[in-house]
Amino acid sequence: MRPLEFLRLSWRSIRGHKLRSSLTALGVIIGIAAVIAFVTLGASLQAGIIGDISPDDQRNLYGWAADPDTEGGPAAGAQPVFTDADLETVRELEAVEAAYGYGTLQPQGLEYEDETVAQGDGLVASGPSYIRDEQLSEGRQFENGEREAVINPAMAERFEEEVAVGDDLTITLLGGEQRTVEVVGITDTSEGLSPFEGFESAPRVYVPTDPFYAEQAGGLGFGADGENGDDARYLAIVVEAPSAGQDDVDATRESATAYLESDDSDASELLEEELAVTMQTSTELLQQLEDVLDLLQNFIVGIAAISLLVGSIGIANIMLVSVTERTREIGIMKAVGAQNRDVLGLFLAEAVVLGVVGAIFGTTLGLAAGYLGAWYIDLPLVYPYEYVVLAIVVGIVVGIASGLYPAWRAARTDPIDALRYE
Amino acid sequence: MSTSGERAVELTDVRKTYQVGEPVHALDGVSLEIPRGSYVAIMGPSGSGKSTLMNLVGCLDTPTEGEVVVGGREVTGLSDRERTTLRGTEVGFVFQTFNLMPRLSAIENVAIPQLFQGVDREERRERARSLLERVGLGDRTDHLPNELSGGQRQRVAIARALVNDPAIVLADEPTGNLDTETGAAVLDLFDELHAEGHTVVMVTHEPHVARRAERIVHLLDGDIERIEQIEETAATSAEDAEAEN
Repeated sequence: MRPLEFLRLSWRSIRGHKLRSSLTALGVIIGIAAVIAFVTLGASLQAGIIGDISPDDQRNLYGWAADPDTEGGPAAGAQPVFTDADLETVRELEAVEAAYGYGTLQPQGLEYEDETVAQGDGLVASGPSYIRDEQLSEGRQFENGEREAVINPAMAERFEEEVAVGDDLTITLLGGEQRTVEVVGITDTSEGLSPFEGFESAPRVYVPTDPFYAEQAGGLGFGADGENGDDARYLAIVVEAPSAGQDDVDATRESATAYLESDDSDASELLEEELAVTMQTSTELLQQLEDVLDLLQNFIVGIAAISLLVGSIGIANIMLVSVTERTREIGIMKAVGAQNRDVLGLFLAEAVVLGVVGAIFGTTLGLAAGYLGAWYIDLPLVYPYEYVVLAIVVGIVVGIASGLYPAWRAARTDPIDALRYE
Repeated sequence: MSTSGERAVELTDVRKTYQVGEPVHALDGVSLEIPRGSYVAIMGPSGSGKSTLMNLVGCLDTPTEGEVVVGGREVTGLSDRERTTLRGTEVGFVFQTFNLMPRLSAIENVAIPQLFQGVDREERRERARSLLERVGLGDRTDHLPNELSGGQRQRVAIARALVNDPAIVLADEPTGNLDTETGAAVLDLFDELHAEGHTVVMVTHEPHVARRAERIVHLLDGDIERIEQIEETAATSAEDAEAEN
């Protein structure tokens, strides 16, 4: 007997019991819809938090010093230990292309063309190559030692009149000190440029660590010699490998970490026993974040999967009832030459059709629910297409798993008894 | 249809024993030959072994001892699968309760044995259609069983029994659920099939039904009590007598 004939006959008996079949399929529909809805929502949530950053900064290692037991994202528990002298030495290392400090400054407001806006964060101090050329939509990177800044589009739009390259911007730092910078470039995205910033879209200003970070450090008293701030210590550093190749990145990581943790570095004075240097690429850092989200999602999907299990028990139950109810039909089929495997195939096909129909409806429903949810909490919508395929496969598997025993019972029904069955 | 031998069915010293507490001999050494093209009725009170004999001839069961040859093939040594194939191709069943598939139309019911033989859908439908026409239901092909009368259902069942061109048509009380008139019409159909060369084995407890056959095998307590030859004239006169009633 051919597969198509199995399907035709099973479809016939499914339609013969419309209400019963619908209720049975409903079990699978709810299970699959729940899984798909949560996966869609999870993927959208992930996209919302992480953004669609392509990790093309694979050469960059993000480093900080923290207690190794500290849990959390990038720079969690970081302590300011790295000095300019450390960075200079690291820069000289063979496996290092560039190295610079990273720090956030604390502004309280920005002024442009006599318009002042309150701004309590988003002021980032780093090295020039922190902003890569391909991330600039206009202008150039800032230069070290200059009072220059690169802003992102969200910042440019904060003012009534949009800020353009070449304009002057006055930054009021916490404490009231004012610094005027020239905007030399605008980035192409408002999302964070590195894991240190987070990946959400927000208005940001990027300035060189020299002089800004040193000044703040001096102002806040981090530096030993006050105004000058040469002894400013960075919470975080960025070290560039010569290429994105895993070998290069590993070599860079190894040599930089080795130096920073050795007695030759300034950082080592403060590292002592409880702090260790961590250096990771953005992919590795993203991975940690994704792991947390995945864990959450797996937990919810696991709960949804239980309802799928209940759904498949429903199919098994109905198939068993169906086999008993159709004992006589089985007897007739066997009397007119149906082999055991034909009967097995017929009932199995019925269960699989129920499973697949449930999967198709469940997927549609789940995508719709996920879409609504993502729309409601304002997340970028991401369709997990691979899960749609997976859902159909799960439907088939659920059908086979729940139909196998009933079908087997049907197949080994004795035709003589079955024909006598009332 | 098998090509070997002149006999559609041949039973040699067949015993069937059931273990129900103590052994019960449902058949106790039965030997019977049913030539091709013959018409045999099997009669006997309940418990005489009719059903057991039918199950054996219909390849639904295997004997405890002895040989059953159907369509030239010995049944006992066959695997379950081979026996099922033999049953599907060499035996056509007609039951007292019709036993049609309730959700399949008349034409699909007739075609279903060929479905299990892997015959093409179009070919199946063509064959089924011509058989339904043969039994006088050419205009009822797409009706479901519950849209047909008892006599029509039994005709569908008869068409189904013929679909694989079997060595024997095995009918178990085919008129048991029909009124006299419809029953007579169904029996006429069996007469016609016999006349066309089909082998018919009919189990019945009604003498007037049995007398349509060429021979009546009387069973009693699991053995053949006697075999009654019906003369052509006797059969005709029986028919006449019925017609007079």
